[in-house]
Amino acid sequence: MTEDVKVVQTQTRTVQESLLETVSLRLPAVTPPVTYPIETLVPQTRQQTPAVGQRATRSDSRLHGLGQTKYIADLAFSGMLYAKIKRAGIASARIKNVDTRAAEAMPGVAAVLTGREIPVNSFGATFQDQPVLADERVFHAGDGVAAVAAVTEQIATEALEKIKVEYEPLPAIFDPLEGLKEDAPKVHPPHSNIYATKVIRKGDIEKGFAASDHVFESRFRTQMVEHVTLEPHAAIADWDPNGRLTVWSTLGRITLGRADLARTLKLPMNRIHVIATIVGGNFGGKNEITQEPVLALLSKKTGRPVKGVFTRGEEFMSTTTRHPFIMDYKTGVARDGRILARKVRLVLDGGAYCSFSETTLGKACILASGPYKIENLLVEAFAVYTNKTVAGAMRGFGAPQVCFAYESHMDDIAAALAMDPLDIRLLNAFDEGSASPTGQVLQSVVVKQSLLKAAERFGWKEAGQ
Amino acid sequence: MKRRGRGIACMWYPVGYTVTANPSAAVVKMNEDGTATVLTGTVETGQGSLTVLGQIAAEELGVATDDVYVVSADTDATPADMGAIASRTTYVTGNAIRLAAGRAKAILFEAAAPLLGVKPDQLEARDRKIQVKGFPQRCLAIGEVANRAQVDMGQPAIGSASWNPPTVALDPETGQGKPFSTYVYATQIAEVDVDDETGEVEVLRIAAAHDCGTAINPMLVEGQIQGGISMGLGLALQEEILFDDAGRQLNPNLANYITPTSLDMPEIEVDIVDSYDPTGPFGAKGVGEPTSVPTAAAIVNAIHDAVGVRITSLPATAEKILAAIKAQRARATKRIPSIQHFDLGQGSSVRNA
Repeated sequence: MTEDVKVVQTQTRTVQESLLETVSLRLPAVTPPVTYPIETLVPQTRQQTPAVGQRATRSDSRLHGLGQTKYIADLAFSGMLYAKIKRAGIASARIKNVDTRAAEAMPGVAAVLTGREIPVNSFGATFQDQPVLADERVFHAGDGVAAVAAVTEQIATEALEKIKVEYEPLPAIFDPLEGLKEDAPKVHPPHSNIYATKVIRKGDIEKGFAASDHVFESRFRTQMVEHVTLEPHAAIADWDPNGRLTVWSTLGRITLGRADLARTLKLPMNRIHVIATIVGGNFGGKNEITQEPVLALLSKKTGRPVKGVFTRGEEFMSTTTRHPFIMDYKTGVARDGRILARKVRLVLDGGAYCSFSETTLGKACILASGPYKIENLLVEAFAVYTNKTVAGAMRGFGAPQVCFAYESHMDDIAAALAMDPLDIRLLNAFDEGSASPTGQVLQSVVVKQSLLKAAERFGWKEAGQ
Repeated sequence: MKRRGRGIACMWYPVGYTVTANPSAAVVKMNEDGTATVLTGTVETGQGSLTVLGQIAAEELGVATDDVYVVSADTDATPADMGAIASRTTYVTGNAIRLAAGRAKAILFEAAAPLLGVKPDQLEARDRKIQVKGFPQRCLAIGEVANRAQVDMGQPAIGSASWNPPTVALDPETGQGKPFSTYVYATQIAEVDVDDETGEVEVLRIAAAHDCGTAINPMLVEGQIQGGISMGLGLALQEEILFDDAGRQLNPNLANYITPTSLDMPEIEVDIVDSYDPTGPFGAKGVGEPTSVPTAAAIVNAIHDAVGVRITSLPATAEKILAAIKAQRARATKRIPSIQHFDLGQGSSVRNA
């Protein structure tokens, strides 16, 4: 059959036909698909200029992804000892006696340390009211009372059981509102339980309330929470024979960490070397020294590097937490929703020590009225000692607490006036150049833009009407 | 039955310490091949700050992110820095690094100016080149300039600087003053389902619009917002340290202290609000802490919208919400219709009211 066709073709071909034939022989009926390189191109954001604005991958992401990042738990030195700290377990007491003899006699225990052996046994961001290890008195149940360095973590933990501490229980305060009363037992006698106060006064609140069509009052409370970083507080201290101290630590602030070490250990700063590793989460919880001076002194006693890693229980009980707040809000508004006056009282439960309470109190006080134009304002804030876990720096320094209060309050006002919660906020929000509660002229103010942008993204006007 | 609600919350938050000086110092060294090393005393605590600081140095030097290596957190090797706190790293340490990089760059301009036949102030650093402003084809590779500065001019391109945000002390009586150099703003809107038989809350989605000035690295800003929302969600609904009567913690472990997991996380829709702060490095402010500030308020407002109960103490646990719903129902059943609705004589005026 094909041979017949060929015969016909050879008999009748022209130049044009023969050209067509050669072309059609070379080209298949269907053109094959074009193949592209199979590699996937990832934008090389780290190689591009300008650098600012690039979605550059993190310089440490590869190590994190491969599990190769070295945290304190991954570091070890030859001859290294492990430290554990004995916790008081009683909220308020006088320490009558600490007997460490049985612990020291245990095989594998290299050294024991008590609070009385610390050269300057106090530290703190604002007031130095916190002992490194409690010596005379216990102020909350998470206070350390003695520390052990041993060849293994297990031996150190077992040795803690052998340390006998005699306590004389003292009266304790757990409710900050109780602590405010004149006749309340004092957490740090002879000092008052109110250890920091802040006030902001602007305009005339009495006039503002008098001019208001409606006045709203509410009390809000928040709870104590932990930072819950993935990596607990950890450090290694090595006191070398030259008398120079090297500390590897999870500290988020090494400049201040070194200053605190110099003060508590009475060492010149140039003999202290603080190295922070990549820290597995901070959120404010790793701003201050914790066990570093203890490890340093144990290293000095033993001549060996000493490592300490907090248990999750110690993370909760002995490190700082977020301040519980009690917040009283009174707000006067005009019929159209404008806020005319606001009075706020904040009481912070500071726990046993000041830590970052001063800062938290100050920021909470300044931010308490919200991002709103309020001419007549009075904010009074108090930080109160209690015999509970220390409250300190935590992401937001009091801002999440007061935001919960002023924004809940705002919705109650909007509901009472039958206003849209978005509209009442847009009506009162700061503009560029608005004066803050402290009288500061604000710049790069985009609170209204953020309200509109979030509302647009959420579909606020369309949804749920 | 599940009832849906939505809640809005906005906030403002300052960058840096309250009034107190909080300087950062930095050193920027350009190597002879045009790569650079930055020394900073801040600490990478997981937020990606070293990447952002490297980008700031790279931008000022006109090179790419990969060309800069950041050495951090060593009191012997790196200069003073008040640390990874108060959402200050990008703003304060970033400004110090930008200034230090500018000083290193000035040395490069001095080395390049005679070779390009212009004055140093006519030069700019861009795309790994030192070039004449407006004449980008008249340029030298930045590595060549750095090498000449060190080898021919005998002046390695090194700059150091420090920066501290300007503040004014607060009056102790009135609290008036300028406690912070700048602030950021944000809004979050939450959508929740509340089961009115159990009080259980499910956060479905959160729209988050945050201001951070210029986003030096938008991906890391988004990461901060996602992380901040998870922390805010824990504060709103789950987390609480409980004490016994003697002041001892009852739940100091992750079995009884509940934090959000990935299964608790809502859909998060992020917007970065257009903003530029002239006092920040390339207009940047900060974003770390503020991301978790409005979340709890937005969620609690959404619960109120869903079931009509106002939770005034955090966390808004299922127990608290259910108790509030029951109390509300108890009040509702006792309500007696107002007599005036049945007053026929006043009917017309009631309708108009």
